[in-house]
Amino acid sequence: MSIRFGLVESSVAVLPFTQPALWVALGLPCLLGVLGAWLRPQRTWPILLAGLPLAASGIVLLMIVEQHGLQRWQLEWGKLTVQLRLNGLSVLLLLLTQGLGLVAALYTPGELRHADPAQRRLERWLWPLLGILVGSLSLIWVAADLLTLYVALELMGLSAVGMLLLPGKVESLVAGIRYLLLALVGSLSYLLGVALILGHWGRLDLAGLVQVVEAGPVAWTAAALLGAGLALKAALFPLHAWLAPVHGNAWVPVSALHAALVIKASLFILLQLWSVLIPDSLFAAQLVAWLGVIAIFWGGGLAWRAVELKSLVAYSTVAQMGYLMVVFPLLLGPGIPASVQGLAWQGFWLYLVGHALAKAAMFLAAGNLILATGNTTLQGLTGASRQLPLSLLAFGVASVSLIGLPPSAGFTAKWLLLRAMVIQAQWAWVAALLLGTLLSAAYVFRVFRYSFVETAPHYAFRALPPWLDGLALGLALASLLLGLFAYGPLTLLQGSR
Amino acid sequence: MSATPPLFDLLLALGLVALALGCLFDRHLVRACSVFVGFALSMALAWWQLGAPWLALAEFSLGAGLTGCSLFYALGVLPPGSPLPSRRDWFREPFRQAAIRAVLALAWMGMIGAALRHSVPVMAYSPMQQPLLLAGVAMSALGLGAFALHRHLLRRLLAFNVLGSGVFLLLAGLTGTMAHAQALIITGLGVAWLGTLLGAMLIRRLYHLQGAKALISDNESIRQKRQGP
Repeated sequence: MSIRFGLVESSVAVLPFTQPALWVALGLPCLLGVLGAWLRPQRTWPILLAGLPLAASGIVLLMIVEQHGLQRWQLEWGKLTVQLRLNGLSVLLLLLTQGLGLVAALYTPGELRHADPAQRRLERWLWPLLGILVGSLSLIWVAADLLTLYVALELMGLSAVGMLLLPGKVESLVAGIRYLLLALVGSLSYLLGVALILGHWGRLDLAGLVQVVEAGPVAWTAAALLGAGLALKAALFPLHAWLAPVHGNAWVPVSALHAALVIKASLFILLQLWSVLIPDSLFAAQLVAWLGVIAIFWGGGLAWRAVELKSLVAYSTVAQMGYLMVVFPLLLGPGIPASVQGLAWQGFWLYLVGHALAKAAMFLAAGNLILATGNTTLQGLTGASRQLPLSLLAFGVASVSLIGLPPSAGFTAKWLLLRAMVIQAQWAWVAALLLGTLLSAAYVFRVFRYSFVETAPHYAFRALPPWLDGLALGLALASLLLGLFAYGPLTLLQGSR
Repeated sequence: MSATPPLFDLLLALGLVALALGCLFDRHLVRACSVFVGFALSMALAWWQLGAPWLALAEFSLGAGLTGCSLFYALGVLPPGSPLPSRRDWFREPFRQAAIRAVLALAWMGMIGAALRHSVPVMAYSPMQQPLLLAGVAMSALGLGAFALHRHLLRRLLAFNVLGSGVFLLLAGLTGTMAHAQALIITGLGVAWLGTLLGAMLIRRLYHLQGAKALISDNESIRQKRQGP
């Protein structure tokens, strides 16, 4: 597993372009964020123009990895060393982060223009926080030592909390302070785990730890501490209670980014650290998987009963994280055949990327529907099909991927995962995956049940600028097409071995 | 281990635990925050004693200075003339819930203590040789217990800060004061300050919008339970 994360010696020397491109990818978002706070863009074309060099840096890094494979290097800074690695997985997630960050930035002026003026007091701060969030997420994908991961995790967590608080409503403040306190305690748990590792093995670089870690109480305790802290931040069941209020009360692009990337970053670190510390532990992976099974049904059930549109989308995140948790026993554990692990590895990341795109699209679409109808509940959507066809189309295409219907990324990923589970004869997980799919179809179709009520009176819906729908539809289509063109990303993931 | 006799370490450790108890379980919030500043100053002394002057400086400025100011800002003591939230926390948790929370937190800390005993040989043979490490265990257990127990937002912030200091002491006790450990702790101190500042601003804003009842977190669920059968 650690090989798949690129924690091995690289055969290639670091290319001269790699570092500058990475600095652009890490630093430019923060710089643009400061610029955004100063200029407060009201239109989309300046944002698009500013995002171009960022996307260019991502594409340069993609080309480097495609041609030369894994790159690893370290930076010395006084007595401290910072380890970085760039492989197929990190480039894929980096591109995803840049894309979603750009879409969120493009959506922001539209959202702010329609927001209640009382809630716009702090809108200036959104831009730098967005920049720091994108920069720190990018750092998480490439960092390969525990210190850098800690710094990036904290930057990400604090900027995410800050962004969620900006509307300044009482509900968002109450949800935000709960999230803040839990996230802070989660990072202390992470820090204690790191302390155990540093005290026992005397090093923090993951590739070095792979060589020296042996199974034992220290590795297990450290894994438990790191796991608990990160599971709290990733809203893994049963530590998910803070998630829905936070998503329900934030600005739309902020909830989209948070659901799509921020909680996934903690999951990414969790899987990476466990594959270093407890690659052969049966119990931990099984525990996570069973919790995942409960999450699929618990989250699905809550989404099915949700009254508000945004909390439906938020609870569905709890359920969808459950699918990713169920894959753990196929990735970690003794005696998993390489072919099964390969399938599960590809399925896991494809599912994560597909879900990130679909969930962001769904939040944007839900935001559009709420902006247009001025009503946050599901019932407020009655009759929306006649007047808001584009927003509903975006929601529908996103839900195709979320449910896992062909040809979406959700379908391809679930197919890979099912194959791996069937080969391993893990029928319990197969059943959970299939029943969970039915359940997600059930709660998503509730939205359409309301919106296609034909006898509804004509409500006065607010007209939206077409590019708001365009952004949601674009993301939803990306998630759909990722299933058809999964070959490229999958070879990139496989090439990272 | 430092060359000074462990007597000073022992006194410092006892003092730290006593101050932690004071700031966690005093219902008079201004006094609790003042005790916290004293606690942070003793932490700075502990870092000095452990041979990490930079950490002592960081603790002095970030822990005692800026975090203390943030807490007093949340209480409305700073800046002078701000509207004053209630300075006392009279909220009493239903006993059963409180007991379950505290027991869970302490069980979690007990597990960690057992693991520490296993992983650090010194702890198993002569724990008294490392009084500061023991103080770290006690402080983090107290902090976590208080975090689980209290509902008042400011007291939860205090509990988080004590928990953090305990974890930092544990970290330093486990790893010594090598460069990487110091970097981790300084990052942690910075995060704790930023978190406290953010929390303080939130508390002020919530008080401004909703009054004193908003400062009891999770009050919604508790109120519903009380109204139930």
